[in-house]
Formats: sequence, C-alpha cells, structure tokens
Amino acid sequence: MSDATANGIPASGAPAKSSLLTQDALMRKRNAAEARFKAYGIAAIALSLSVLFIMLWTIFTDGVSAFRQASLTFPVTLDAERLDPEGNRNPEEMARVTTIGYTNLLNDALVAHLAAEGISTEGVDDGDIADFISRGTPAELRDQVLADPALLGQTITVSGFASGRIDGYLKGRVTRETAAVDTNISVEQLDLADRMVEAGILTSGFNWRFLTNPDASDQRPEMSGLGVAIIGSAYMMLLVAIFTLPMGIAASIYLEEFAPKNRWTDLIEVNISNLAAVPSIVYGILGLAVFINFAGFPQSSSLVGALVISLMTLPTIIIAARAAIRAVPPSIRDAALGVGASKMQTVFHHVLPLAAPGILTGTILGLATALGETAPLLLIGMVAFVQNYPAGPFDGGMLDPATALPVQVYSWASRSDPAFIERSAGAIIVLLAFLVVMNIIAIVLRRRFERRW
Amino acid sequence: MSVFLLIVVLLVLGIAGYVLGRGRALSSVGGNPRKLHSLPGYYGWHGAILAILPALVALTMWVIAQPLIIERQLADFFPAEQIENDSQRVLLLTDVRRVAQGLDTAVAAGALTEEQAAMIRTEFGSVRDRLATVGVALGSEVTPQVLQAAQRYRELAATGGLWRMIVTLAIALGGLAWAVRTTNGDLRARNRVEVVILGLLILASTIAILTTIGIVLSMLSETIRFSTMYPFADFLFGLTWQPTFQGNSELGLIPLLWGTLYISLVSMIVAVPIGLFTAIYLAEYATPRVRSIVKPLIEVIAGIPTVVFGLFALVTVGPFLRDWFAAPTGLGTSGSSVMTAGIVIGILNIPFISSLADDIINAVPQSLRDGSYGLGATKSETIRQVVLPAALPGIVGAILLAASRAIGETMIVTMGAGAAAKLDLNPFEAMTTITVKIVSQLTGDTEFNSPETLVAFALGMTLFVITLGLNIFALWVVRKYREQYE
Amino acid sequence: MDDLRIVERSVDTQGFKITARGVQVYYGEKHALKDVDCDILDKTVTAFIGPSGCGKSTFLRCLNRMNDTVSIARVQGEIRLDGEDIYDKRVDPVQLRAKVGMVFQKPNPFPKSIYDNVAYGPKIHGLTRSKSELDGIVEASLKKAALWNEVKDRLGEPGTGLSGGQQQRLCIARAVATHPEVLLMDEPCSALDPIATAQVEELIDELRSNFSVVIVTHSMQQAARVSQKTAFFHLGNLVEYGETGQIFTNPKDPRTESYISGRIG
Repeated sequence: MSDATANGIPASGAPAKSSLLTQDALMRKRNAAEARFKAYGIAAIALSLSVLFIMLWTIFTDGVSAFRQASLTFPVTLDAERLDPEGNRNPEEMARVTTIGYTNLLNDALVAHLAAEGISTEGVDDGDIADFISRGTPAELRDQVLADPALLGQTITVSGFASGRIDGYLKGRVTRETAAVDTNISVEQLDLADRMVEAGILTSGFNWRFLTNPDASDQRPEMSGLGVAIIGSAYMMLLVAIFTLPMGIAASIYLEEFAPKNRWTDLIEVNISNLAAVPSIVYGILGLAVFINFAGFPQSSSLVGALVISLMTLPTIIIAARAAIRAVPPSIRDAALGVGASKMQTVFHHVLPLAAPGILTGTILGLATALGETAPLLLIGMVAFVQNYPAGPFDGGMLDPATALPVQVYSWASRSDPAFIERSAGAIIVLLAFLVVMNIIAIVLRRRFERRW
Repeated sequence: MSVFLLIVVLLVLGIAGYVLGRGRALSSVGGNPRKLHSLPGYYGWHGAILAILPALVALTMWVIAQPLIIERQLADFFPAEQIENDSQRVLLLTDVRRVAQGLDTAVAAGALTEEQAAMIRTEFGSVRDRLATVGVALGSEVTPQVLQAAQRYRELAATGGLWRMIVTLAIALGGLAWAVRTTNGDLRARNRVEVVILGLLILASTIAILTTIGIVLSMLSETIRFSTMYPFADFLFGLTWQPTFQGNSELGLIPLLWGTLYISLVSMIVAVPIGLFTAIYLAEYATPRVRSIVKPLIEVIAGIPTVVFGLFALVTVGPFLRDWFAAPTGLGTSGSSVMTAGIVIGILNIPFISSLADDIINAVPQSLRDGSYGLGATKSETIRQVVLPAALPGIVGAILLAASRAIGETMIVTMGAGAAAKLDLNPFEAMTTITVKIVSQLTGDTEFNSPETLVAFALGMTLFVITLGLNIFALWVVRKYREQYE
Repeated sequence: MDDLRIVERSVDTQGFKITARGVQVYYGEKHALKDVDCDILDKTVTAFIGPSGCGKSTFLRCLNRMNDTVSIARVQGEIRLDGEDIYDKRVDPVQLRAKVGMVFQKPNPFPKSIYDNVAYGPKIHGLTRSKSELDGIVEASLKKAALWNEVKDRLGEPGTGLSGGQQQRLCIARAVATHPEVLLMDEPCSALDPIATAQVEELIDELRSNFSVVIVTHSMQQAARVSQKTAFFHLGNLVEYGETGQIFTNPKDPRTESYISGRIG
C-alpha cells in the first residue's frame, strides 16, 4: 500500500496489513454492538409476545370461572296457603303474591332442609342462610308456579343458583380473609357452605345460562348472562354485512375499473384512507347526531349500531376489495374485451368472480374488527341496561333496545361487585371465540382460493 | 300502506317490468333474439329499473320530507315564542311525536279505537294514565296543546301515508308503462342498463364523501350551538374542567388536551422502540420461518378488541403499577393513571408500528444494503446508518399514524386513565382525556340543549381536527416516501 | 506495463492476490457455479465475461462473501486471499469486505450527503482519528474517482442528486475510501451512457496501480479495453482463463471462440 501515499492518501490512514483470521479490538467492539442490536430486536419481540400471552392468560383465568356456577338443590313444599291465599288457582290472583313471598318460602325451606339433614348451622342465623340463595331464584320459582298452578301443594326439588358471594367462595374468589372484611358475607357462612358442599346441597356445574340469560342487576351477578348481547351483536353483524358488502363492492368496482383520474376521484381516495383512520368515537357522535337526533331512529337499537359500525367499516372493506380487484391481472380484462364484451360485462362476468374470495376474506376480517368495536356504541345508548330479549329479526327486533358483546364487557367491568369482573372476562372469552372463528374462516378462504397470477 | 309493504309492491312491479320488457322485446322481433340489439335479459332489466328506480327515489324523498312538512304545520298549536326558541321547539316536537306514537300503540293494542284516539281530550282524564295501561310511559302529563298537536300529527301522517302510496305507485306504473311502450328490438337496452349501473356505482363511491360531510356537519352545527351558550374562547383556553348540573360549568379544553397528549406520549414511548425493533428484527434478521411464525403472532395483538385491553388495564396493569411503582414511591394511590393507560395503548400500537415499519423497511432497495455490506459494514451498522435513514420519512409517517390512533383511543382510557381532569406532571396520577369526556357527557339520558352536553360535540370536533390533521400529514409523508422508491 | 509483464511471468503463489480452488455455488437446488479454479493477480485488472446467467457475477460475489447475504446460497470449495481461507470459520465477512471492496451494477449512493457517502467506510472501520484526516481521505478518494472537481463545492448535497455517471464514480470513491486491497466491480458501466462509461473505464485503469481489480462485464470491448487477464464463464463453468489478448485473438476453447465471435451470448 505504499502507493497510497503517492496518490495523496495519508499513509497513517491506511490500515496495517492484518490477518483475516484474527479480530482487532475495533472489530470486536463492532461485533459486540452488532450482537447487542440483534438482542434488542429479540427482546422487543419477546416483550410484545409475552405481554400478549400475559393478557390472554389473565383474562382466560379470570373469565373461565364465569362458565361455572354454584347451585343449591333442596326440596320445597309449595304451600298453597302462602302462594294462593284466595285458593282459586287463578294465575291472575296468584300473581298478587310478589317475589318476596317466594323468597320467604325458599328461605324457610332451605333452613328446614338443613335442619332435616342434620347440618349444623352454628354461628349463622336464618337470615344468613337466606343469603345463600340467589335473588333471582324466587322470581324463577314464581314464574314456574304461575305457569303451572297445579304445582301448588306439591313438594318439588328446587335447583337454583347460589348467591354471588357463595359462588365466589366455591371459585376461590371469596376467601376467609376477604370474608372477614366483607359485610356481605361472614366466615361462619363459608364454614356452612363447606358443610353444604359435603352434604351435596351446594354443587357447582357448567353454566349455560351465562350464554343465554339477559343482563341482571347489581345485586345478582350470578343471574347475568350474555343472551341479549349475543343477539344484539348477531343482528348488528348481519346488518353490517348487508349494508357494507354491496356498498363496498360497488364503490371499489367504480374506483378500480371505471373512475377517471381526476380531482374528484382523488378526493374520494384521500377521503377513504382518512376515514379509515378517524377515531371510532367520532362515528359514535355522527350516529348520535344523524341517526338518533335527526332521523329519530330508536336509541340502543341494533339498527343504529349497525349503521354506525357500517360507516366505520366501509373504508376498510373498500380498501380490501380494491386490493382484491387490482390483483386480477389485466390480461383477463383484455381477453374479455377482446371477444366483444362490454366493460360492464367484463367486470361483472370475469373480474368480480375472480376477486370474490379476496373481497369476502377482507369483509370477514372487517366484520371481525367491527364485532369488537365498543366506543361508538356507548354513545348511541347500547350501554343501557337491557333485560328483555329483542324480538325476532322479522318482528322488528332490530329496532328493539339491545346491547352488544364488547359493550357488555365494558358495562360489567364498570360495576363495583368483583363478581362482574369475572363475567366481564368471561364475555371476552366468548367475544374472542367468535373472533377466532371468523379469522379461521377468513384464513381458510384465503388458503383455498388463493391464486398466484 | 307501510313503507316496507310499498317496497315489496315495488319489487313485485319490478319483476313484472322484467317479464314484460323481455317478452315485448322478443315478440317485436318475432322471437329471434339475434335480431335484438342487446341480450333479451337487458330488456327485462330495463323494464325493471324503470318500474322501481324513479318510484324508489320519490318514496325516499317523501319519507324524508314528510316529517319536516308536518312539523311546520304543527307550529300553529303553540305560542310563537315557544316555537322560535330552538331548544324548546325540539322538546315540544319530541313530546308531540311521543304522544302520537303512544296513541298509535294504544290503537294497535286495542286499548283505544281509532275514533277515541282522534277524540280523546285532556279534560276527560289523564292521557298519561290511559297510555300507561298499554305500556307507553310518558315522562310528564300531556298538555292540551301537545295532545291536539299529536292528534293533528296523526291525521296529517295518515293523509301523507295515503298520498305517499298513491304517488309512489303511480310513478312505478308510469315507468313500467313507458318501458313497455318504448321497448322494441332497436332499443339499446344494454347501454341504458349499464348507465344506470354505473350511476349506482358512482353513488356508492360517494358514500365516503357523504360520511365525511355527515361527520363535519353533525359536529359543526352542534359546536356552533354550543358556542352560543358558552364562550368559545373559554372552551379553547380554559384551564378548568368542571361541569355541574346547575349551570355555571367551567368547560376548559386544556386539562383534557393535556391528559390526552400526556397519555399519547407515554404510549409512544412504549410503542415506538418496541415496534421499531420488532420490525427491524423481522425485516432484517429473522429467517423466513421465524418471520412466518412471529409476524402473525404480533398481529394477533392488533386483532384484539380495545375493550379487552381496557379490562387488562383495569384489572391487571393498573393494580400492578399501583402496588409496585406508584405506592412504594409515594407517587400515587390510584390504579387508573396516565401510566396505566399509556402503557396499554402503547402495547396496542406495537403491531401497528411494527407492521407499517416492516413494510417501509422492506421497501428500502436491497442495492443500498449491498452497497453498505460491500464496504464492510456490519448488519447493524447498515441498518442504523443506511436503511433507517432511507426509511425515515416512512417511519415518521407510521409514528404519526400511531400517535393519531393513541389520541383517538377511547376504551382503554375510559377504563384505565381515570375521570379527573387535571393539569399535572405526575404520570401515576389519574387524568382524563378528550375521548373519556365525550363518552361521559353523552352517555345516558341527555337532553341536547345544555352546554354540558353540547360540549361533547365541540370536543369531538377538536379530536376530529387533530387526528385528521395528523392523518393527512402522515399519509402524505408515506405517499411521498413510496414514490421515492418506485 | 513492463512491471506487469514481469509479475505475470513470475507465476508463483506469492504473486497471486486471490486463489480459488474447486468453488461450487448452489442457489437452493440450482447449481450455479461448477468447480471453478481461478487465480487473480495483484495490481491487475481481471475481467470476467460470459453470457447472462453464466455464473460470473456469482463467482465475483464469492470473493467478498456477499453471497452470505443471500439466505439460499451455499458456497463450497476454497478461496484464499493472501493465503488465508476467506471461508474459514474464524473469518469475519465484515473484516473481509473491508479488504475486498465492491462496486455494483446500479449506482447505489446512500441517501446521505456526498461527503458522508465517502466518509461512511472510513468511519465504520475506524480508519481516522480526526476530522481533518477524514477530510483528507474523502478528498483523496474523490480525486481518485475523478469526481473531486465536479463536487468539491457541494459536498453537503445528497449523493442521490448526482447524474448516473457521477453517482457511479461516487460509489467507486466510496469503495476506494476504505483502502481495499481488491476491488470487485459488477458490471459497473451497464447503467451508464457512453461518456460516463469512458470516464469510469479510464478510472479503472488508474486504480490498477493500487489494487487488484476484478470486473464483471457484458461488453467484450470493455473487457478488451480495460483488462489484462480475462476469464470466460459459460453455464457455471470457467471455460477459459488467460491473457486478455490471447483470449480475444486466439481462444483455445471452441466455446470461447463462439462467444467472442458472437455465436452464443
């Protein structure tokens, strides 16, 4: 390298002749920096994935217990004197006996049954024993009796839910430590619960009613379920699909196949990509102002929810559908035009069928996102407490007040009783199960119809 | 005839139009379809479109216009000063509609006959009680004016409904007749049908514009109403947020804006390095196999609904931060805090940044990397000094998009940030954001005539302007970047 | 030129900068390079010619282990630089590439200033201790690449703003600045117009005084103009290797002759 000096490069700048087989200090330093840099990348990925895992794990462990429920099974004699004072077996007259009458009957029956079974009730009074029974159980018994007055006078075996605290004790949420500071339950009651489990009065089983019951009030978390939310979400998704699919396909066909390149279509394009990034809550404000205040659609209804979510989802679906249409090679279009098809025939006979799987995949993924959307639904009143099932889809059920799965997650999470946190997490499990199914359908569709041109 | 039934009838007429149009075209050429200009089906569609479309347009306009016209007619029932006041008019008309609907329900349930409903007077007893027996709950007793207006409303609506049916069906039948009359073998049916279809396609593509206009108008009009009730400068620059139900609320934007920006900042501090390093590793280091496993897993995070993150913040992250950081250091006692919400939003944004940055890094030409390797640079030197600077504009765009998402995020802050509007620097304090306050001001039964409610629209407008500005700028940056390497 | 002849005549291992024995390259299933033996002299321009896909670029990329960056590529055989096996486990390809620089087909200046483009190599290799030293290297390298006079007043401007020929000379300056011992050039003129090509060819001839230059080219005229030794590749084989004059005037292999006379290619 002596020539280097001659050519104007300072000799000091030239590296000394070195072997490739040894690394100098600088090289070692550079390689250490390289290893560090790579480690940052691995750490970032490990961190993201472990947070994902922790989140899913905590929600799963919190929520899976929502699918189990403690029940009390004991015989009750349906005392005709108390339940039908008039003695006419007329359901209308019997309806005058309120739930309180049934509550007392059940309480007495449980106390009597414990005594009959010889279970010690040391340290608890009758009121404490009554606390074991869910406040929803008397109402159910009342409905049962009113529907079939012939039951009066018989002794039937009632199997009703235990109250939230007792349920929580069997699931480990309520412990002797928490009971000691909880005014709603005492350690003695928990001792009794242990004895009742031994005697087979208090049992725990899979809780189908978590999926079918409507929401319940703060005092009876054990009775609450996702029935209304699942119907509401199903209605909404159905309507969103009906609204967005034709709209999205039509808009993307126009933009990809027919639109001239001018300022107007440019404006539409910019608009669509910006709408896809507008915060979802803004769509809620739009829905409140336009659909409820201006158009006068009923609050809390699946229809309004679906309209809002449709407007929100449409840009995503248009973007996906356009990508699918763009992926159809021009040669197909040329071939169709070449045999004398009109532009419109080319698009509807050739391009659209080929793009259909892609459009469908994009739509399903769009719907999956829409299913989890919460914020805009809060503004149009879907967070309301809805205890009645909406009517069937052809009886105007989409105009009835309803709620939605993600909204139910939110409204349960904001209640004070920790039993609702468990149900909130349980609702997430149901929600995620739907999302997983939708994504699997999308992936299968993509795999099955994926075409490489 | 109800609107639904009318539409069904229109569809039936459309089918008739199809059959007639197709048949007439074929018979005009003696049954030889080759003599037709278009395929026979197009003549059918031509007939169907003419039967349905004009009538449907008329019906839509009627449905929109009728309530407006009726409401104008009802003005006579009320004193002028009540009608001229915007908010009072809205309330009165809502009452009228509700009573009218109540009467409808009562008639439908058989509690009243049609005559009774038209004749019922407040003097004869409580209308409220009678309606309550059929399950129509009214908030207050019905005044005579409102009841009369409601009865007039029902009369007008019934007349309107009758004319609606007559007009719609007349137009439909007229269109059908015209289609049949003009159909012959030379009619360019395909071209006509295609023009209509193209029109529908164009209509569908303008939905995006309409949505934007809807968003802007709905928020702008209510914001303007808000500004007539509350000084707008106080809203924009006020340092206190203290809504009260008695009035005299202080509705200053600054504390909410501060909470929003602070939480977004924390979230970006979490999301940007993690997302960027994830993208770098996936794009530059990972083998195709690792990439094909890790990338979808990271994107699972993006597919989880935000309410799930909200619950995670509320139940897990909040208490964890409180018990391990805030309480031991004495910085705070609340599980809801800027940190809680910020960190969780950051997690939510990791896949967003990483997949955008991944795309952008992959768009950097391989020749630049080769150039750097050819000079003896290590991989990390190449990434830091060549790839990232080349990708910088795109990455900045991605970060801005993520920031806009963080600013507009609602569920996580609603469940994890708290509700107290504060101007504070302590990240372990509960603070609140624009989106939280939009939710809390608009949830539940609200009347849209107090500044406390309307301020939500002004907040929405603020949010929309901020995020839209960020988005437009970010998309512009990303687009410029893409063009550079195309 | 006399020096060169002497070097060429005294063929012994000392005179060879690079010796390659039995080099095989696979791209996945494809056998891209078959059993190539080749010795490259110091301070000489060696040209690799042959039709597209013949393996000439592949072999070039083996010489500084650029094939390592292609995940599906596998290299077998032995390549020695100054007697040291560059595929030895202990060899850091990064260190190797500092000694064996490379210029690519398409000019690929970094999206940085002209100065930073040239200073990049010296900086990462820690060749300088002060700013003035670095300035010196940048200036010398740009002068060597015959670009100094054109850019000396705008060293702060982005390198991507230069014309194609200037960009390629910038890339050469960038490669020269790291003080390599061997300079590999992969069709350096294919993206350039004739005037820029002439400038770069002139440059290659000057560079020979300092480095061993290996150039892959599509153009036989270019190989004839700039090189002293020429290797002809065909279908992954090194068909013939010898003095440029001899290859072009008196090829020994019929395939070489067919290519030279334009029958294959």
